[in-house]
Amino acid sequence: MKKKAKHGGMSLKTRRMIQPYFYIGPVLLLLVLMFGYPLIDSIIMSFQSYKLSKPNDIAWNDFQNYVKMFADKNFLLLVKNSLVYVIASVAGQFLLGLGLALALNTKFKGRGIYQSIVFLPWAFSAFVVGLLFRWSFNGEYGVINDLLQKLGIIDKGISWLGTPGLSLAVVTMAMIWIGIPFFAINILAALQSVPAEIYEAADMDGCGTIRKFFSLTVPYIKPTIIMTLLLRTIWIFNSFDLIVIVTEGGPANYSQTLPSYMYSQAFSSYDFGLAGAFGVLLMVVLSVYALIFLKVTQYDKAGDF
Amino acid sequence: MSRKTKKRLTGALRFVILAFYLLLVILPIYWMVVTSFKTNAEIINTQAITYWPKEFTLENYKGLFQTMHYGTYLKNSLIVTLSTAVVVTFLSIYGGYGMARFKFKGKTAALLFFLITQMIPSILVIIPLYVMFAKLNLIDTYVSLFVFYTITNLPFCAITMRSFFERIPYALEESAFVDGCSRGQTLWKIVMPVMFPGIVAVFVFAFIGAWNELIAGTIFLNTQKMWTIPIGLKALVGKYNVDWGSMMAGGVLALLPTAIMFIFVQKYIVEGLTAGAVKG
Repeated sequence: MKKKAKHGGMSLKTRRMIQPYFYIGPVLLLLVLMFGYPLIDSIIMSFQSYKLSKPNDIAWNDFQNYVKMFADKNFLLLVKNSLVYVIASVAGQFLLGLGLALALNTKFKGRGIYQSIVFLPWAFSAFVVGLLFRWSFNGEYGVINDLLQKLGIIDKGISWLGTPGLSLAVVTMAMIWIGIPFFAINILAALQSVPAEIYEAADMDGCGTIRKFFSLTVPYIKPTIIMTLLLRTIWIFNSFDLIVIVTEGGPANYSQTLPSYMYSQAFSSYDFGLAGAFGVLLMVVLSVYALIFLKVTQYDKAGDF
Repeated sequence: MSRKTKKRLTGALRFVILAFYLLLVILPIYWMVVTSFKTNAEIINTQAITYWPKEFTLENYKGLFQTMHYGTYLKNSLIVTLSTAVVVTFLSIYGGYGMARFKFKGKTAALLFFLITQMIPSILVIIPLYVMFAKLNLIDTYVSLFVFYTITNLPFCAITMRSFFERIPYALEESAFVDGCSRGQTLWKIVMPVMFPGIVAVFVFAFIGAWNELIAGTIFLNTQKMWTIPIGLKALVGKYNVDWGSMMAGGVLALLPTAIMFIFVQKYIVEGLTAGAVKG
C-alpha cells in the first residue's frame, strides 16, 4: 500500500499499462512529428508550384509537377538506370556478403583482426569511397587502366567515367564495395545463432555440406536475409550521394538515377514542387515493393513482427 | 578422394576466399593512402604510374590545414556529430528498452513505423525542414544538421538497441525489482553496466551516420565557416580539375576517426546481433 501512495494513488494496473509508453513514447512522438510533418508537407508541395525563387507564386497547379516528371525525355532512362543500379548493387553486395559471412563462420587464427579489416568499409562514407573510385577509374591517371594494361587485358586506357554504361558500372562497383560488410555482419550474426546440435544430428544422418546449407542453415537465417535485403534495397534506391560524387550523373545522364536526377535538376534549382513529386514517386514505388516483398517471402511468419 | 586430401582442399579454398576479401578491402585503401603522400607532379605523370611514392611528401596534408580550412571543417564535424551521437544514444536506450521489455498495444504498429521511416526519401524530409529552418533562422547553424541527423539515425539505432537489450536475461531485472528497485533505477544501475558494449556500438552507429553525411549538409549550410568535412571536400572537386593529392589526404583524415572506432566495436556488433537473432 505504501508503494501505491508514492505513485500518486494510481493503481498498479494502470501504472503497468502506461509504463511502456513512458519509455517508447518520447521516441515515437519525436519521430512521428519529425517525419510525419515534413512528409505531409512535401506531399502537399508536390501538387503545387513551389519554387523557392518565387515565394509569392505558390499555388496548386493541377498535377503539373507530375506531368513534367513523367514527360521528361530522360524519364525512361532514369527508370532503367535506377533498376539496373539497385538490382546489380543489392545482388552483388548480398552474394559477396554471404560468401564472406560463410568464410568467417569458422574459427581460425587472427579472425578478430581479419574481421575488423574486412568489415571496415561499413564505417566509410560514401563521399570518400566515391572520390576514391573516381580517382582510381580516372581515364588518364587512373590505377585501374594501368593495372589492366599491365595485365594485358586492354591495349589502351578506357574512359570509364566518360562512357555510357561504364560510368554506371563504376558507381555500382563502389556501392557493392561499401555494402558487403552490412550483409556479412548481419548474416554472420544469424549464422552464429544457429544451434550446433542440429548440425550434429544432420551429420549423424549423413547429410552432405550443400544439403545441410540449404535445408538447415538457410531456414534459420531466412528472416535476417529478408530484412537485410529489404533495408538495403530501400537505402540504395533512395541514395544518390555516390552518384553525385563519382559521375555527377554523366556522361549525358547515362548514370543518372531517379533520386540523383531529382537532386541535380529539381533540387539545385530550388523547384521544391518538382523535387517533391520525384520524392513521392520514390516513396510509392518503395512501399509497393516492400509490401510485395514481405508477402512473397512470408516474413510475417518467419520474423518477429 | 581420401578424407585428408579433401580436408586440405577445403582449407586451401578457404584461404583463397579469405585472401580475396582482404585484398578487396585493402587495395583501394592502400591506393588512397599512397596517393595522399605523393607530390602533384608524380600524381599526374601519365608516363609512369608509381605504386610507391618516389618522393614522399606531407604537403597534401599541410595544405589541407593551411589553405583549405580543414581544421574548421573538422571542428564543425565534431560538434555536430558528437552532439547527435550522444542524444541518439540516450533516446535509443529508452526506446530500445521499451520495445525489448514490454508488450503493449500498438507495438507491431510502432515497429512497422520504424521500418516506414527507412523508406522515406531523405529529400521529402529535407525540403520541408529547409523551409521551416529558414523561417526559424536556423539555416547555417549546427542545430539544423543536429536535428536532421538525430531523426534520421534514431530509428535504426533504437531498433539495434532493442536487440542488444533482448540479449540480457530478464531475471537480472526481476531480482532487482524484488529488492525494491524501481524500473528506472534498475535500468540505470543494473542493466546499463551490462549493456555497455551495446551502448558503445549504438553510439558508433550514430557517430558514423552523422559524420559521413553529405547531402543535407550541402543544403542546410551555406557559409564556408560552418561546413563539415564532406561539404568542404566536395567543394574541392572541380568539374575538370581535381587536386587528387589533397582529396586523398582529406579522405584519409575523414575516414580515420570512424575506422578506428569501428575496429574497436565491430566485435560487439556481431555479438549483439547474434543474441538478438536467437530471441527473434
